Amino acid sequence: MVEISVNDVGMVYSRNETVALEGVTLDVEKGEFISLLGPSGCGKTTLLRIIANLLEPTSGTVTVAGGTPEQARKNRKYGIVFQRPVLQSWRTVRKNIELPLEIMHVPPEERRARSDAMLKMIRLRNFVDAYPDELSGGMQQRVGIARALVIEPEILLMDEPFSALDEFTRERLQGDLLSIWQESKKTIVFVTHNIAEAVYLSDRVCVFSPRPGRLSAVVDVKLPRPRPPEIRDTAEFVEYVARVRGSFEGI
Amino acid sequence: MGRLRRLTDSNLFVTIVWIAALVCVWEIAASYIETVKRTPENVLPHLWQIGQSVVSTKPVAGGQTALQIVLTAAAATLSRAGLGFVIGAGLGFVLALLMKLSGIVEKIAFPYLMIIQMIPILGMAPIVLGITGDIGVSRVAIAAILTFYPVAANTLAGLKSTEPEKDSLFRSYAATLPQTYVKLYIPVALPYLFTGLKIAAPLAVTASILVDTLQGDGGLGCMLSQSLKHAMSIFVFWQIVFLSAIVGVLSLNAMVWLERLVLPNERRKGKWNKASEAESAA
Amino acid sequence: MEQSLRSRIGSVALPALFAVLLLFLWQTQLLHRMLGTDTFVLPLPRHIAQILVDNPVKIAENLRATCSVMFSGLAIGCLLGYGISVAAALFPKWGSGGLRVIGAFNAVPIVALAPVVINLTRDASDDVEVRSTIAKTIVVALLCAVAMSIGAYRGLTDLQPFAEDLLKSYAADRKTVFLKLRLPNSVPHIFIALRVIVPTSVISALITEYFAEHVIGIGRMIRDNITLAQYATAWAYIVVACALGIASYAVLMLAQRLICGRRWRI
Repeated sequence: MVEISVNDVGMVYSRNETVALEGVTLDVEKGEFISLLGPSGCGKTTLLRIIANLLEPTSGTVTVAGGTPEQARKNRKYGIVFQRPVLQSWRTVRKNIELPLEIMHVPPEERRARSDAMLKMIRLRNFVDAYPDELSGGMQQRVGIARALVIEPEILLMDEPFSALDEFTRERLQGDLLSIWQESKKTIVFVTHNIAEAVYLSDRVCVFSPRPGRLSAVVDVKLPRPRPPEIRDTAEFVEYVARVRGSFEGI
Repeated sequence: MGRLRRLTDSNLFVTIVWIAALVCVWEIAASYIETVKRTPENVLPHLWQIGQSVVSTKPVAGGQTALQIVLTAAAATLSRAGLGFVIGAGLGFVLALLMKLSGIVEKIAFPYLMIIQMIPILGMAPIVLGITGDIGVSRVAIAAILTFYPVAANTLAGLKSTEPEKDSLFRSYAATLPQTYVKLYIPVALPYLFTGLKIAAPLAVTASILVDTLQGDGGLGCMLSQSLKHAMSIFVFWQIVFLSAIVGVLSLNAMVWLERLVLPNERRKGKWNKASEAESAA
Repeated sequence: MEQSLRSRIGSVALPALFAVLLLFLWQTQLLHRMLGTDTFVLPLPRHIAQILVDNPVKIAENLRATCSVMFSGLAIGCLLGYGISVAAALFPKWGSGGLRVIGAFNAVPIVALAPVVINLTRDASDDVEVRSTIAKTIVVALLCAVAMSIGAYRGLTDLQPFAEDLLKSYAADRKTVFLKLRLPNSVPHIFIALRVIVPTSVISALITEYFAEHVIGIGRMIRDNITLAQYATAWAYIVVACALGIASYAVLMLAQRLICGRRWRI
């Protein structure tokens, strides 16, 4: 079943007439983990924001969860995670996770139960009453992920969520993300500029090229699941990384 | 030795030394003026003389002691300054909200908000007294006008300082406009609002004292003028100089204190050290 | 493109429209009814303009007195304030504490400061005009110096992370660190401070005139004409005071553009 369908989508910024995206067509299956990979300025974030209905495409159509992106947003079909955790400094960890539930008018008891479940999942139960300033960068980003998942969305949209973290924290959060995905079977669209990250996480890697931003290759990653961290050292993994890198050189 | 070192390194110690140095300079100057002037208390009295006049029970005018005169006047002036401050801050906050809500309001009001900061409003105090015709109303009005600008300008900057990702986040939740204001824009703007209040509070005090000097109808500024004209003990003047300085500083500190009360997570900063990843796994 | 042009026209036309509306209300005396006043206290714009045209010599004389106090006070105060901030940056332990004490002066009302200074300078000269000018200039300079020392100190000490380490890695001495890093780093902070200081210098010049022995200056004229119930004349001086405030701010903005350019973004 197709969850997200992108049909000949183009995006031209009227301000300086930059072509951010041109003729992108892509279907994302339900429960699939898909990566949008490319250098900066290739339009991968633009595509994610179009799917999230944070931007309107100048041409083409998009369907998300059987409706328009706007319907999907209004029905809270997706959760979104940004490069920075964008937590509210005046709210505790728990209150940050409960923020979208407050906006959706979920009663307090249920908010608490759901944020408890999320805190357990991201292993931050000892920090419920801490303020964001008191957490490390990796912990803040985990709170950001919990905040996206607490509304129980069908789709998780992630915009370079780990790019500001150090290598050790990043690998650890990649593992966490995979186990969360395995348990919940959400559809995940993951934007990144890190080739190994895209290969490790995804079922499919969509390679974007810049000026004008377009989808230049799609690589199926048929590595077995679940994927332990050591899979990065196998010849098969290295081969996939090389293949994805090769698809860039073809541009 | 180590303890002495810690003591001399502390901020409090440094501040006390500076204040002590200022007191010394004042006293040396006062002693010099004592030797060359016939009425040195008009130019620069000793600090202890001013202190003595505060506790003195000798009536200086109308059967009241100097302190009684000063405190009665202070009550009249500062209550009006406080009222004007609250009104001005409220209006400034509302205008900032309207400017954020409506592009048209922002376009109309913004240039005028810029001009207000350039023109000498305090110099226009006499005309406000002329228009209102009442000293009490004028004190409130001038304090309100002076409070209005810093509060409106800073709050507007705060309302506009939200990171774009946070805007996107609230849009992704399909949050309503009131929800976005209550849960995002206004909390983000609060520290900016307090910056405005901290600038405005001493201004409101200065303004209402200044308005007093324009009419002989009680109040700190009025007593200050009369004392300077030797209608009563000159020490009333010196007490008012110190009282207004103290009130000015206190009004600023009151805003700092209010900010800590309203924004408690600022106060809690540093309660935990940055927690490491390892600890969280346990 | 079209949209940005339209919005730019809007941001000029809408405030201008508001100004026209205000003048209309004023001229038709609807404004007087709203404020509960009359044309005696709030004269019509034409009347005010007439006074400005009829008294150029007197106005120029008072403007000159106010300007000389304001600009000399501004210049002396800024230099003094910058000097204090440099001293404070050189001796950070005592300097930061000293600036905390100076910062408290920011909250001291000018109405308390002005009479004290005027009393202290009573022997400075036998000429009442000279000693009044000295007293007024000192008040303006003190207020400017306080604001400048705090703003410039931030600029001298609030450096980018690792900037000082980089210079130290070149074995730069304190003087070089100061000239190559702290001084240029403080330039934008000076202009930020000036945005407060320039309007402060105008206001403090006007207010100190209230207390001065020698009767001259825009501020004193506003006050004395109201005491004499010559409201129209007072309004004419208010217009001059506003023009002085706006002009001095415009000069500051121009200087900022010329000096900062692309080197220092504010």
